[in-house]
Amino acid sequence: MSDATVFIVDDDQAVARSLRWLIETVRLKVETFASAQAFLDGYDAAKPGCLVLDVRMPGMSGLELQERLAARRTHHVPIIFITGHGDVQMAVRAVQAGAFDFVEKPFNDQDLLDRIQRAIAFDTEQRVREVQRAQLRALFDSLTPREREVLDLVAEGLSNKAIANSLGLSAKTVEVHRAKVMEKMHARSLSDLVKMAMQNSA
Amino acid sequence: MWLGFVVLGGALTVALIGLAVMLLRLREAEQRVRDKESEHLGVLDRLQENEYRLRTIIESEPECVKLQAADGTVLEINPAGLRLLDAGRPEDIIGKKIYDVVAQEFKQIYRENMRRVFEGEAVVYEFKSVTLKGRTAWMETHAVPLRDARGAVYALLGITRDITEHKWAEEQGRRHQTELARVARLSTMGEMATGLAHELNQPLSAIANFARGCIRRLRSGDMAPADMIEPLEEVCEQAERAGEIMRHVRDFVRKSEPRMTAVDINQVVRSVVKFTELEARQHETIVTLQLAPQQPRVWADSIMVEQVICNLVRNAMEAMAETHSLRREVMIRTVPHGEDAIEIEVVDTGPGIDGAVIDQVFDQFYTTKPDGVGMGLSISRSIVESHGGSIRAESRAGGATFRFTLQAIPLRLSNDERRYSIHS
Repeated sequence: MSDATVFIVDDDQAVARSLRWLIETVRLKVETFASAQAFLDGYDAAKPGCLVLDVRMPGMSGLELQERLAARRTHHVPIIFITGHGDVQMAVRAVQAGAFDFVEKPFNDQDLLDRIQRAIAFDTEQRVREVQRAQLRALFDSLTPREREVLDLVAEGLSNKAIANSLGLSAKTVEVHRAKVMEKMHARSLSDLVKMAMQNSA
Repeated sequence: MWLGFVVLGGALTVALIGLAVMLLRLREAEQRVRDKESEHLGVLDRLQENEYRLRTIIESEPECVKLQAADGTVLEINPAGLRLLDAGRPEDIIGKKIYDVVAQEFKQIYRENMRRVFEGEAVVYEFKSVTLKGRTAWMETHAVPLRDARGAVYALLGITRDITEHKWAEEQGRRHQTELARVARLSTMGEMATGLAHELNQPLSAIANFARGCIRRLRSGDMAPADMIEPLEEVCEQAERAGEIMRHVRDFVRKSEPRMTAVDINQVVRSVVKFTELEARQHETIVTLQLAPQQPRVWADSIMVEQVICNLVRNAMEAMAETHSLRREVMIRTVPHGEDAIEIEVVDTGPGIDGAVIDQVFDQFYTTKPDGVGMGLSISRSIVESHGGSIRAESRAGGATFRFTLQAIPLRLSNDERRYSIHS
């Protein structure tokens, strides 16, 4: 099924084991960590999945871990916080700081599993988008400075003639650059090319 | 003959001189008397002047000045005093008993203070008064004894002012204080409960997760019976862990076991009265004592017993205040109960206890107060029982009685033994 992993960070080993036992029923991989620090040290951001995090932990709290992860330049794993009774404020803070979701103890098993699935779907989407963005960036990086100038003006909707005037080139030369850009960017049409240019600048 | 004349003349002269001297003396005496008289008159004038001046001062004094006899009869009162008591004419007050304008619940306290003044003390006291027009006001009186020439106290001179507004502000402040204390107490309990809830939540959610994991596997049919052993063992372990947490809580509670010493129970009662003085005044309650003679000693943790009596007294005051009982009185009695026990009674004049719930009053979380927690009497009972005693509640016409027993130390104990028990 899914290649995703559910990362569990809980200082309570029994709770962590029980979560693993429960989550494995939906055939997801599970990795448990006994502390926030252990997760920071051992987590591989390349692995898709989501993080299930107890908000209250001795040492580094769940909120602190969230902060540390947010500061990293790597992929941001979606976080589901598990909060105890009366920790609503902490949950609100976590969501404001970008947490994907939270569940309050005691939680319904189906509810938790549904949220985990949604978090994983979100992560997959994010990763696909990240890959696309990286690919696009690589394509752009393959353009020469002159080709990029031409592309920018094409994206602005200028005709070949106008581009030639603006860059002090012959229309013929512009035509050649433009064909080269189309080829390098794997663009199927002009509108495709304009879309990619817009995505890259976004 | 001439000699005769001469002699006669001489005698006459002497007589005349004598007469003149006498006249002179008489006149002098007269003058002296007149002087004395005018001096006397001057003194009288001055006295009159003095009295007039004093009277003017007293009459124009903005605060109530009055003289009272030992039986409470008002001898004199100034216009400010009349105004204070809403009296139109002096005769509305003068010649009447001051108790007529003292609020019911303060009469006893007032009498007690008067007695002290007539014993020669200067006393400051506060009381509630009900004026001739039925207005209720808080008063503060500075009272001093007035003595006659032989030094006997013949009257009380009292200066009284209306402190209602001040009192009101004070009450507001105190209410605020009480509220703060209550919130603090509740939040401490709340914190404890939250901590405990969090602790218990851990094994409970683990149990739920293991159990649900099993159910899901069994439903989907991909679980062999043997695979259930491990998660079920986890479930058992977590249930034991929850039990362990509860045992900790019990141990924690048990740690506060009483520290027994030989305690003078009457002394404990007196300190309770001191602690609850403010509340008694606030609730307009008179606290009276009826203490066993010979200072009976009991084996007890004085702090804990103090807490029990405090709880009972506070409950009584609150019950009476809530139902607006007319007579609000709490009596604390210590009564020898056979050879080896002392009974402590707290008797109130409140509404009593409904017969249907009298057996429940010591239950945890039982309360009749809108913001009560229902722990006071339950804690009291466990304290009394940890002392080997028992506590009972009784309701009679006109109030409730709570009584509990404590183990007494026999008075026959030798001094050595007693010393030992006091310091042990």
